[in-house]
Amino acid sequence: MRGAVSRAILLRTALAVLALGTAGVLYGFPLYWLFVTSLKSKAELFASSVHLVPHNPTLAAYSSVLIERGFWVLLKNSVIVCFSTVVVTLVLGLLITYPITRLPVPPRLRVNILIWALSLRFLPPIAVVIPYFAIVRTLQIYDQPIALIGIYSLFNLPFAIWMLKGFLEEIPLELEDAALVDGANRWIAFWRVLLPLAAPGVMAAGIIVFTFAWSEFLFALILTATPNSQTFPVGVQGLVTQFEIIWNDMAASGVIAMTLPLVLMVIGRRYIVAGLTFGVIREK
Amino acid sequence: MKGARAGRRRLSRDERLAYMLLLPALGAVFVIVTIPFVLVIIQSISAEDGTLVGFRNYSRALANPLLYDAIRATGVYSLIVLPTEILLGLTFALLVHRTVRPQGLRAAIYVLAILPLVVPPVAIGVVGRLVYAPSYGVLNVILERIGFVHHEVNWLGDPTLAMLAVASVDIWQWTPFVYLVLFSGLQTVPRESVEAAQIDGADWWAQFRYIDLFYLRPLFLLIVFFRLADVLRVFDHVFILTGGGPGTTTQLLSLYMYRVEFKYFDSGQAAALAVLVLVSFSILYRLISRALPLERT
Repeated sequence: MRGAVSRAILLRTALAVLALGTAGVLYGFPLYWLFVTSLKSKAELFASSVHLVPHNPTLAAYSSVLIERGFWVLLKNSVIVCFSTVVVTLVLGLLITYPITRLPVPPRLRVNILIWALSLRFLPPIAVVIPYFAIVRTLQIYDQPIALIGIYSLFNLPFAIWMLKGFLEEIPLELEDAALVDGANRWIAFWRVLLPLAAPGVMAAGIIVFTFAWSEFLFALILTATPNSQTFPVGVQGLVTQFEIIWNDMAASGVIAMTLPLVLMVIGRRYIVAGLTFGVIREK
Repeated sequence: MKGARAGRRRLSRDERLAYMLLLPALGAVFVIVTIPFVLVIIQSISAEDGTLVGFRNYSRALANPLLYDAIRATGVYSLIVLPTEILLGLTFALLVHRTVRPQGLRAAIYVLAILPLVVPPVAIGVVGRLVYAPSYGVLNVILERIGFVHHEVNWLGDPTLAMLAVASVDIWQWTPFVYLVLFSGLQTVPRESVEAAQIDGADWWAQFRYIDLFYLRPLFLLIVFFRLADVLRVFDHVFILTGGGPGTTTQLLSLYMYRVEFKYFDSGQAAALAVLVLVSFSILYRLISRALPLERT
């Protein structure tokens, strides 16, 4: 009896390991291939057979992308755009979530704001970019970072509102009340008491907004034209759709594009799922 | 609030502060959202030279067979991607929940599952190219080495295969999301009810059917909501991988609208399409959001 049970458990574990292992390989291999391709030299790409392991790994493709093609400028644009987006989104987000979580506002208003923010999540970017494109040209901010910052902030605001709301709600009202009784005004209570306590959450929201803005491609493709404001994903796309495809440069640009989000993810990993589901799913 | 019963009382200082903070922020966002919407409506009833043409742009948009190709492609894409991601995600969530006990291993799987979620879709498109493209695509290389095929399969050139290739990239990126949501849902199933069921002799299927599923049900709605919102706007990796081809077989709705506006420069028709999409999506949103397990107070 006991032997049968443990054999069944053993079998089940073996099957589970097999399934997870297969999934792991299927998952990892494309990324491995991206990385390996980025390390190949041009000569190796023109070899008669495709090598699954690079014979003479080199960083040539990276310097080709960043320096010879001048993509470091796009990288800089991306950082500027994303960082500004984070600042604008967080300030707007706090301006909206602070009153609805800490101050006496009618519950209906609060719910309507939240539901409205959620509805923005369903807004299809392509339908918005068509009129936004006309506005951007009228305002003469076409091919300027500010055009991207504006639209990115708008599209990330719903996330920020829902996440910040979740974090602010967790902080007991009594802590601020105590500060107010001690003679602090609302601003000081916010700045000295609430914000330090909410800092991890605000940071997490910032990291997620940064990652999303970093990945954005459609708006950047449409609203930029030159290295003056093009972001990195637009550069990657340029390498893919050009006439002669240079695999190692393309792969290197892919690796560069995913490096920063992956590093940030290590810091903000506990909040990613919360962010993607508007804080409905909370990790412990 | 105790003071609320006083009726037409004056706003307290805190309430005034709340509105002083909310009004400018919400007002700005409202204006930024509304102006494009008004503009796109005007654009949709005007000709290129600005004269009003009524609903001519709409009838042109609706008469264009490419629109229906795009809707069909989007439908096929969603029908491949959503069920596959949910089934696979559920399978892995149950598998890890039931069989993987060591906390370290669970944490490792967690980090690996988070990974694809933050990778830019453009980079994922590049990965897709490196796998499927002719001459360098590693899938053909591997299939030829193990003797599965004898000449190159044109993954991105065949209508059916191209759609599957494009969908597979979505599945690759987003199955982990479904997994993570359902896995965290499984952690909320109380241990006592599982143990009670086991004592009663419930097998794993009965456990899933009568206990786990009860706790997961609201999460499925949530997943469908967020995944549907994403699937309907898919652009990046398809643009990189096939550009909508071969022909128009993978030209999803957003790629089609992009083409109308920025390749055919038919801004009247594009605006009409944008309005149609905005209206139908907001109806869809109304229908779905009502069922969402969100807190309403």
